[in-house]
Amino acid sequence: MNPLPTAWHKIAAVLLFLILWEVVPRTGLVDPLFIPPLSGVLDALIELYRSGDLLMHARLSLARAYVGLAAAVVIGLPLGLLLGGWFPRIQTATEPLMELFAQANPVILAHIIIFFLGIGEVAKTFIIGWLCIWPITFSTITGIRTVDSSLLKAARSLGLGRGQLFVRVILPSAAPSIFTGLRLAAGYAFIMLVASEMMGGSNGLGWLIVQSQENYNITRIFAGAAVLTAMAVVTDALLKLLERRLVVWDVDVNEDYLKLKTASGEGP
Amino acid sequence: MSTATDTSKIEIKGINRIFPTRNRGKGDGPREFVALKDVNLKVSKGEFVAIVGPSGCGKSTLLDILAGLAKPTSGDILIDGKKITGPALDRGIVLQGYALFPWRTVRQNVEFGLEIKKTPKAERKEISNRFISLVGLDGFADHFPHELSGGMKQRVAIARALAYDPEVLLMDEPFAAVDAQTRETMQDELLRIWEETGKTIVFVTHSIEEAVFLADRVVVLGTNPGSVKDVLDIDLPRPRHNSDIRSSAEFGWVRHKVWELLQNREVKAEGPHGYGPSVAEAISSSAEL
Amino acid sequence: MNTKRAGLQHFLLRWSGVAAFLLLWEMGPRLGWVDGYFLPPFSTIVVEIFNLFADAYLSVHILVSVWRALVGLLIAVLIGIPFGILLGRVYPRTAEALSPILRILSQVNPFSLLPVFVLFFGIGETAKLAVVAWVSVWPVLFYTMTGTRTVDPVQEKSAASMGISPGELIMKVILPAALPTIFVGIRIGATITFYILIAAEMLGASAGLGFLVHNAAMNYQIPRIYAGATFIVIFGYLLNRALIFIGNLLFAWQENSSTTVTANATVTTPSWRPGRLSAVAAGIALLAIVLFGGIEVDKVNKEAASTDPGAHSRHFGTPVDSGSGN
Ligand SMILES: Nc1ncnc2c1ncn2[C@@H]1O[C@H](COP(=O)(O)OP(=O)(O)OP(=O)(O)O)[C@@H](O)[C@H]1O
Ligand SMILES: [Mg+2]
Repeated sequence: MNPLPTAWHKIAAVLLFLILWEVVPRTGLVDPLFIPPLSGVLDALIELYRSGDLLMHARLSLARAYVGLAAAVVIGLPLGLLLGGWFPRIQTATEPLMELFAQANPVILAHIIIFFLGIGEVAKTFIIGWLCIWPITFSTITGIRTVDSSLLKAARSLGLGRGQLFVRVILPSAAPSIFTGLRLAAGYAFIMLVASEMMGGSNGLGWLIVQSQENYNITRIFAGAAVLTAMAVVTDALLKLLERRLVVWDVDVNEDYLKLKTASGEGP
Repeated sequence: MSTATDTSKIEIKGINRIFPTRNRGKGDGPREFVALKDVNLKVSKGEFVAIVGPSGCGKSTLLDILAGLAKPTSGDILIDGKKITGPALDRGIVLQGYALFPWRTVRQNVEFGLEIKKTPKAERKEISNRFISLVGLDGFADHFPHELSGGMKQRVAIARALAYDPEVLLMDEPFAAVDAQTRETMQDELLRIWEETGKTIVFVTHSIEEAVFLADRVVVLGTNPGSVKDVLDIDLPRPRHNSDIRSSAEFGWVRHKVWELLQNREVKAEGPHGYGPSVAEAISSSAEL
Repeated sequence: MNTKRAGLQHFLLRWSGVAAFLLLWEMGPRLGWVDGYFLPPFSTIVVEIFNLFADAYLSVHILVSVWRALVGLLIAVLIGIPFGILLGRVYPRTAEALSPILRILSQVNPFSLLPVFVLFFGIGETAKLAVVAWVSVWPVLFYTMTGTRTVDPVQEKSAASMGISPGELIMKVILPAALPTIFVGIRIGATITFYILIAAEMLGASAGLGFLVHNAAMNYQIPRIYAGATFIVIFGYLLNRALIFIGNLLFAWQENSSTTVTANATVTTPSWRPGRLSAVAAGIALLAIVLFGGIEVDKVNKEAASTDPGAHSRHFGTPVDSGSGN
């Protein structure tokens, strides 16, 4: 009922999960070779940290994911704003093309990009950015398109100009949808980060995981996966925090998946 | 005032309903809100009782309690002298708003209660046919709710409540969302169905005119807290459907009397809580024609 | 007449972007703006797609990929929907307590799980199915939870007024009411699945659309890469459109089909309605694909294993081309 008990429940559930992770492999219910106990994974993490490898790989991976995501935001957001807000005819003309582009698998595109750019950071950024750009663009367009028309009428009757209307009415109304797209994109960024690092190169957490697999170092796979998960969760939490800050008017507690619903009308 | 005897169909005994409220930010003010306070009422078998009252006075709350959908904070509801424990198929409710299942056709909606009752399929179809035709929707059995007008949806909701043959029909502003013309037609139809089936009906409405036209008795609820202000016997002759009783002087006089009761109560209820509607609103809604 | 012309105009405008893009693709290499060896003109690609079909190559790879996606998705649905109902409706407080764990687990990277699944299930189909099921189970689960939680309370109330039992309430009211939302989750799951599957097939498989492209890349069959990529794009587009179409068909009863409407889709009431018969037919078709697809996939895998025993280890984890540095 009141916030304290539920918070405690959540903490208890997480603790229970961690305990199970430790106990179940130890008792042999699952093979500890396949799912190592939590302590084993922590040991591997500490060892990786001591050797300096962890920070090096994690830093590179984080940078790749963020650069790819940033590139997608820098291109996708203005694109969505322009197409959704100013050039509806161009939006109509480019919609199927974008829908097709959104279907273009970035890993396959990477093969093609490699012809032109060689494998390297640009190709990796491209793989990540390509997948992230579409949810951002589509959800921005959707957000702008679905602004309550009576709100627009009311604002216009108050004599707001086009620019004012955009800044004061359209953008705030579209913000929740834009943020949904952003959070979707952030999730994709980490998925594609690992794929791109598995495809080539010699560093990054994705590479570390593949490397560990070849050496049958299972605890290291879990350690790498845990760090990646943490990065994805923290990124999502940061975006959520930013949303709370910027979109004060939409403080629905139970929001997440409802809003996903509205933003996923188009695109992947 | 009360004409009911011991053999009454429904007996409402000392019902109270208190909602806990959350006052965010503001520390003062009551922690709870009394929606219904000591409501007593008897309805005899086959009677048509209308409940009127300003918005927010607890009409829907009372009906929910009668249906067994909500529990009173204290007090009892007796049906045929037996305490109710929850919803059951002996009472049918037509909720405020149509509450149809949009994924079911008209027929499937009407058959819903019968499915729960585990009525065999062939019988179900026969019954649904009968009630679809009773509410004048022949030919629409296989339509979905989104293909119907507001008035038609309302009739489906009534057919659905009637189909599983409850002895008591509870109706919460069933005609509020339909236009004036359709509303009069539906009132006529409801009276016809009532006379045909002999159900006991408790009918909540905003409209004094509607209450007076339909009911044997009109219960006037007051607001803050919601309680029975007065009960009025309507001695207008029956059958009233397809008659021009609405334009008779007698009808006008009864209507005015209910209106006065309502208005009077409303002025007194203009308290500090501000839960109720403004006086002007109450008057305009109660004077609605 | 007039509306017909307006419709045609809209159609032309809509597809003008695609037309311009394809024209550019055709003319660019021909006019020497880009190297025709690395970017062959579009017509060459179309010819290559037909070649692939003629070789009876493509259809096998399509079947393998579709089978994987379908079975993985089926597993996700069979797990996600019951658990979504349980968490969304039956044990909401448990769901609340579990929400951080669910959120963290849903963020676990499918590619970092791939090695774990391979360890668990061996390198065969099961590992791939597990990855596919893993990515698609989360949207199905979360959307089912949302959908079952946001049923119109008035609908529930009117069902409750008839003394409905809890089990019947779920089957007759909550599930149908939540189905459009659940379907959106399945659709999202299907789209993500398709991405991940193709990528997973590139990282380690001996058949499937992803493998086809990867193999072409390994052998520098450049038109074939483009052909494979183009085909996957078209296939993904059609899949998405088909799912939207099915959603519109199934949920035509919705008052405002906000979950299925795209910017351009015209909401029309279909004259044909899916009834019990078509549901059975769809179920049988699904079963047939799963069954015969499974047999076929098994055959393909055995063939690949006999001709090229190193097929899996060869390109799993090895760099895409010889350049390993950045
Ligand atoms: N779940 C609840 N929690 C708190 N207060 C409630 C709740 N349900 C109803 N109330 C309050 O109880 C009062 C009565 O509500 P109710 O819906 O019964 O009114 P009503 O007479 O049906 O009004 P209307 O004519 O507008 O339908 C209202 O003031 C409302 O604010
Ligand atoms: Mg009400």
